[in-house]
Amino acid sequence: MSCSIDLKAYAVDELPKNERGVVEDHVRGCQSCREELDRLNLTRSALASLEDEEIPRRIAFVSDRVFEPRWWRTMWRSGPAMGFASAALLAAAILAHGFARPVGPAAQFVDPAQIEQRVEAQVSARVEAQVSARMDAAVAKAVNEAQAKQAAEFAKVLNATENRLEVQRRSDLATVQQAADYYRKQMAQFLVASNEGPVR
Amino acid sequence: MIFREVEDRDLIAKARRGHVDAYNVLVSRWEKRIFNYLLRLVRQREDALDLSQDVFLKAYQNLKKLDDPAKFPAWLFRIAHNEAYSLLRKNRPEAELTAEPRMAEASAGLFPIEMTLAVRGALGRLSDDQREAVLLKVYQGFKFEEMAEILACPVSTVKSRLYTALDLLKQTLAPVNAGGAE
Repeated sequence: MSCSIDLKAYAVDELPKNERGVVEDHVRGCQSCREELDRLNLTRSALASLEDEEIPRRIAFVSDRVFEPRWWRTMWRSGPAMGFASAALLAAAILAHGFARPVGPAAQFVDPAQIEQRVEAQVSARVEAQVSARMDAAVAKAVNEAQAKQAAEFAKVLNATENRLEVQRRSDLATVQQAADYYRKQMAQFLVASNEGPVR
Repeated sequence: MIFREVEDRDLIAKARRGHVDAYNVLVSRWEKRIFNYLLRLVRQREDALDLSQDVFLKAYQNLKKLDDPAKFPAWLFRIAHNEAYSLLRKNRPEAELTAEPRMAEASAGLFPIEMTLAVRGALGRLSDDQREAVLLKVYQGFKFEEMAEILACPVSTVKSRLYTALDLLKQTLAPVNAGGAE
């Protein structure tokens, strides 16, 4: 075919409307291009006969509450609340220190900033330890549950797949049997016709 | 009260704000297309299903990187393409060993089941690149420019792959003696 018309672009709807008109005009007067376009359309029709399959298992996501921040974590991250808690702890620490310290000959100067830092460090360490322990427990529980659920689902899918394959195997066997029967019949007819010879 | 269809861009916006339910609606709209695209590309049902899940998980994790929600389909298929090719590259030796035997049938006069087998066989004999070009154009209806984005290659390469694939498919599905031209 020597024509410079892009029939494939036309066949896959890639040409703008004005260029489609040019191709259609050309095809009306060109036998070889018309045949080529017919074959392309036939190919597209054949491809279109392949239907979409349903997805065997729907896909969905869940928001896992285990991984959402807890109230104490939210509070820990909240600036004003944390400031208030720190101030309260600091005041309590200063008072405790004032009542409990031994009375010495000379009062020692204590830097409030140092106390605040120590208290904050201790509180942070305790809270982090608690958070970590609870998170570990929650994650372990969630993982166990997920694994159990997954194992159950896997067994279910395996069973369904085995059933489906068995049905498909039987169907294939039946198809092959039908084709063999048809072939045998054709061969028998051919042999009979050969033996009878040409009709005069 | 005014009703309007919830568009993908609305769902994408909500999903970006952490609404998993909105994302699930988006998934339900696209899962069948993605699954069938992957199924015809990798030709293994379980692989296609696993890949589909991976595609939607990656899409969710990277949803904030999507600049233009209108390009979600091409962006999603780009992820699917990358996932499929990771698997195909890993499995290539086996895939070559299990290539389907060649058939020399014509599509004219075939029963539906035979037609389906003929089309599957013809698609299976294409190279991965050629088959993917057919899947994106014929089954998913993408334009050449979108296909170039998905496949990360020039439009000329996309056209070359598709046209070669169509010529090969034509030989099997519409041979000269069974063509539409009488």
